[in-house]
Amino acid sequence: MMALLAILVDTYRELSSKRLFWLSMALSGFLVLCFAAVGINERGLVLLTWTIEIPLLNTSVLEPGEFYKLTFYTLGVRVWLAWLACLLALVSSAGLFPELVSSGTVETLLARPITRWRLYLFKFVGGLLFTALQVAVFCAASFLVIGVRGGAWEPGIFLAVPMVTLFYSYLFAACALLGTLTRSAIAALLLTVLFWGFLFTLNTSETIVNSFRVAKVEEVAAIDRFVDRRRQKDPNVDISDLETERSLAEEALGSLRTAHRILFTTKTVLPKPEETVALVERWIVDAANLRSVAPEDGDDEPSQDTLAKRRRGRGSSFGSVRARESDVLEAVRRERDARSATWIVGTSLAFEGVLLLLGCVSFSKRDF
Amino acid sequence: MRRRGAGASASGPARFVALRAARRLDRVSEAAIDIACIRKTYKGRVTALHEVSFRVEPGEIFGLLGPNGAGKSTLVKILLTVVRPTEARGSLLGRPIGEKGALARVGYLPEQHRLAPYLTARQAVEFSGALSGVRRGERRRRTDALLDLVGLGAWKDRRVGMFSKGMRQRAGLAAALVNDPQILFLDEPTDGVDPVGRKEIRDLLVRMRSEGRTVFLNSHLLSEAEQVCDRVAILLQGRVVKQGALAELQREGAGQELVVRWPSEPRELPGCAGPPRVHADDPTLHVHEIASLDPSDAQPAIDAARAADAVIVSLVSRRERLEDLFIKAVSDPVTGRPLPPGASR
Repeated sequence: MMALLAILVDTYRELSSKRLFWLSMALSGFLVLCFAAVGINERGLVLLTWTIEIPLLNTSVLEPGEFYKLTFYTLGVRVWLAWLACLLALVSSAGLFPELVSSGTVETLLARPITRWRLYLFKFVGGLLFTALQVAVFCAASFLVIGVRGGAWEPGIFLAVPMVTLFYSYLFAACALLGTLTRSAIAALLLTVLFWGFLFTLNTSETIVNSFRVAKVEEVAAIDRFVDRRRQKDPNVDISDLETERSLAEEALGSLRTAHRILFTTKTVLPKPEETVALVERWIVDAANLRSVAPEDGDDEPSQDTLAKRRRGRGSSFGSVRARESDVLEAVRRERDARSATWIVGTSLAFEGVLLLLGCVSFSKRDF
Repeated sequence: MRRRGAGASASGPARFVALRAARRLDRVSEAAIDIACIRKTYKGRVTALHEVSFRVEPGEIFGLLGPNGAGKSTLVKILLTVVRPTEARGSLLGRPIGEKGALARVGYLPEQHRLAPYLTARQAVEFSGALSGVRRGERRRRTDALLDLVGLGAWKDRRVGMFSKGMRQRAGLAAALVNDPQILFLDEPTDGVDPVGRKEIRDLLVRMRSEGRTVFLNSHLLSEAEQVCDRVAILLQGRVVKQGALAELQREGAGQELVVRWPSEPRELPGCAGPPRVHADDPTLHVHEIASLDPSDAQPAIDAARAADAVIVSLVSRRERLEDLFIKAVSDPVTGRPLPPGASR
């Protein structure tokens, strides 16, 4: 315990001795100030004391509390914490492990009554402090802003602290392993960013393919619905157009299912940074309030004119022309929400565990 | 027990120090380091250490000497779990080599060590103590005392990054001592330290010995080692080629030199080892070597020389310097040329 505390304090001192740490803190503070400067009223968006009239963005559409929580999640968490601050944290902490294994430092640490496994893991936990501190400060400030300006005292905001730290831990585990293997901060940083880029691309591809797959399922369901309706009205009606569309949709659905299965399987074994952070939105933003913003379509069969427009890409979601846009979006959202936090975090942590294990083994087996 | 007896007859602070030393010695009745066999072969079948064995007694200053690349640092690193051995049999403070528990009572100052530049001297020493499990209050007390001891009292709260090499070395020494070690491993401790600092470090080592601690000195600065070491081992090509008490090793090649001016042709004298050689500085003189330090062994030769009307110029006793011992140990006995120091396939 004493060694763990000593390494945590030492890692904090190491990180805080870097200008990037304070730059990142300052940027967090600036962002929260900007956040506080923006508000919402019955006419539109408020910037300090000026009101910018926006018909679709005012308190009749969105409660001030929801507006702030949405802004906190969209800009604060997704853009700032999960991208920019995370990148700054990686730049700052990429050198932790190369420095740990550098000649002159590692000897004095290994010649202590602490096992190499513990040393590696304690240093890793220490490295996570950077992000945890940044996020905690940002969340505390945002909590006050949302409470004072939005009137919603939302302690759920602090869920961003473990989730963003978790998100960062997936990348930092890779960075630690690469830093131990290469003994170079630059190599560790570049390879980690590449790994991050790969995860992002994989997640985006899977999300897109899955959305198209879900949309096609909705499309087939919608066609079936319209076939039934036409037959109820007139059993001898010509449904060849719908049957053709259905078979084309079924064919596309088969290909999408195969592509999605491959992507999903690959994604399952890898960390899911994007989805981990997205859990914050799932937990703090009330989706019901947002869904009401989208205008509801009727469930009638679309006219030829509407179909033509949708085929040109207008008013359709993910290539579906027969299904209602709101149904498709709802189905995509349902599909996303069906993935449990346990699955997202559990599988990600399993991969992180493997990276840490490899790092520990590499560190333990090496002569210095 | 002998030390305890000596301590009991002293008085005041000296008695206190002696009692503490005796208690420390009682705790480690076994050897401080007992190496039955250490072997290290790196990948590619490069053997850095070939079945090295020696013993270091508690309360002595032991010097591990050898040319660069002989395997000295590798041996120390194996003892301190920094390098994994191919084979290691033996004990460190009574525990098997490689067991982490023994390291709580060990201090180590590696060659070219790096203290974190973002820490102050105080923080660096305290961090070292915390890793060794020294409790907070004790750690703080010792840190202050040690930084004063190594001459950094006025620099405690300055960052190590702005220290000179000598100051960093002093801070490293304080960090190595913070856990009140029973064995202190020092790898080139005076490297980069000025002459005054070197003397202070030597005095510190002697003081540690007087407190009953063991000092394991890894160095190629033979003059330094000669001044403080009780026993030495010389390592070459990963093997111990010579070891023993320094005084005994020096006695091995010791003797007396009888310098004589002969009126005519020089003669061999009784009790001398072989014919005389011409003096290096004065060709009119001859040097007769007597393979003993006992002055009475020189008397027959003196009497014989005087009987032959030779003039006795001088009789000096000669001990082998550590440097001579070292050069002899690391050189080919036939050609006299230095052997390659390092690892072999």
